[in-house]
Amino acid sequence: MADLRIDLAGIKSPNPFWLASAPPTNSGYQVQRAFEAGWGGAVWKTLGEPILNVTSRFAAVSFNGQRVAGFNNIELITDRPLEVNLQEILETKKKFPSHAIIASLMVEPQQEKWHEIVKKVEAVGVDGLELNFGCPHGMAERGMGAASGQVPELVEKQTYWVKEVARTPVIVKLTPNITDITMTAEAAVRGGADAVSMINTINSLAGVDLDTWNTVPHVGGKGSHGGYCGPAVKPIALNMVAECARNTFVNVPISGIGGISNWQDAAEFMLMGATGVQVCTAAMHHGFSIVEDMIDGLTNYLDDKGIASVMDLVGQSVQRYSDWGDLDLNYKIVAEINNDVCINCNKCHIACEDTSHQCIDLYTESGRPMLKVREQDCVGCNLCSIVCPVDGAISMVERKSTIAPMTWNERQSLISNFAR
Amino acid sequence: MSDHLLSMDEMKQVDDYLDRGFKIHNVYENLSGMFVEFERQEEEVCLQIQTAEARKYFAAKLQEQTQF
Repeated sequence: MADLRIDLAGIKSPNPFWLASAPPTNSGYQVQRAFEAGWGGAVWKTLGEPILNVTSRFAAVSFNGQRVAGFNNIELITDRPLEVNLQEILETKKKFPSHAIIASLMVEPQQEKWHEIVKKVEAVGVDGLELNFGCPHGMAERGMGAASGQVPELVEKQTYWVKEVARTPVIVKLTPNITDITMTAEAAVRGGADAVSMINTINSLAGVDLDTWNTVPHVGGKGSHGGYCGPAVKPIALNMVAECARNTFVNVPISGIGGISNWQDAAEFMLMGATGVQVCTAAMHHGFSIVEDMIDGLTNYLDDKGIASVMDLVGQSVQRYSDWGDLDLNYKIVAEINNDVCINCNKCHIACEDTSHQCIDLYTESGRPMLKVREQDCVGCNLCSIVCPVDGAISMVERKSTIAPMTWNERQSLISNFAR
Repeated sequence: MSDHLLSMDEMKQVDDYLDRGFKIHNVYENLSGMFVEFERQEEEVCLQIQTAEARKYFAAKLQEQTQF
């Protein structure tokens, strides 16, 4: 059976599945129940000066019957005194010594405030620290969270202050609310970060109630932007993890966060460079027990592939992620329709005719409606196979190109060198 | 004319010039596509290539000329 243990910058846990710093890790009661359910680690809900919350706090975006396709919150960091949290961390660590407990921290950008909280938290035996430079709402209005995390100099400086006194590994959690996350990731590394984690939530407004015209959620008729997460953000998070993983200056482990809902998502993040993953929305939607399927699924996947350790997955797909300019312009795929499986819903024809390259023809054969791709006009965009509701009805198949591979960058170099 | 037929036609024109001994002399691109100047002794012709497939094809031909 495959070994699921991970070592992220010296933080060891029995499996790569950690709960992210969020409502599921608000208390010792919750974290202990999560560990009993099988979670390998937990990033404690962010510690700092206790805040005040509002009601309501959450909203979800459903799409075509899929509940919680996206999740929005305006809840802040812990509203409990530091001492209460520390006592519960101490108790939890005693009960679960082999599980990872990481303390998420957020204070004002002042050296002495970082020193004070780091020393207090490490005194109760946490395995690591995660600096919350990502929370986009509420705390950011007070100069913390994403307000700090959007300024590389502040990320570097605060990381440096933490590293001045920290004895445990320091993970810097980054905000996605920035044009290029590698800029702040590099700043964290310059400040001495042992690892980075991403992504925190994305600035969002879940919706507007068409009856009341209130925002969703609203607090007595007023709303403010929140943080968006859940399955809808996974592609955004995966790209940011990959961009950092392939950046030579971000040479520290990555903890992947963002819409991870099952073992497949976790495996994708690890292949793209994450050493472990953090989960929140899926646990809030389905409960702590979802980790059982994650553990079983990942174990079976590794066993089927003959991979001994989950750590062997880390980064295996990074080299396959490149710049657009390095893709082969002459690589060719085309759509192929299997009329034996096709149910003639014609969604592919409509999609291609209306919004792509008009290369799927309708015809009849022995009185039966059929579809056929005119290969010479197919650009291999995938749209027909994406909208097709039947597995196996449309395949994208490779066609050998008659001309040699050439990337855009190679082409531009060739032309610019030749032009007179 | 469909994009495919137009690109086939443009690729054929590129091949025709090269088969007749013309060499690619200059190439530039602008909002109207790619313009290729072919040269054979004192003779010069300019071919506009509009389609994406033919512009890819031409780049391969240009590479061949620079390599041999």
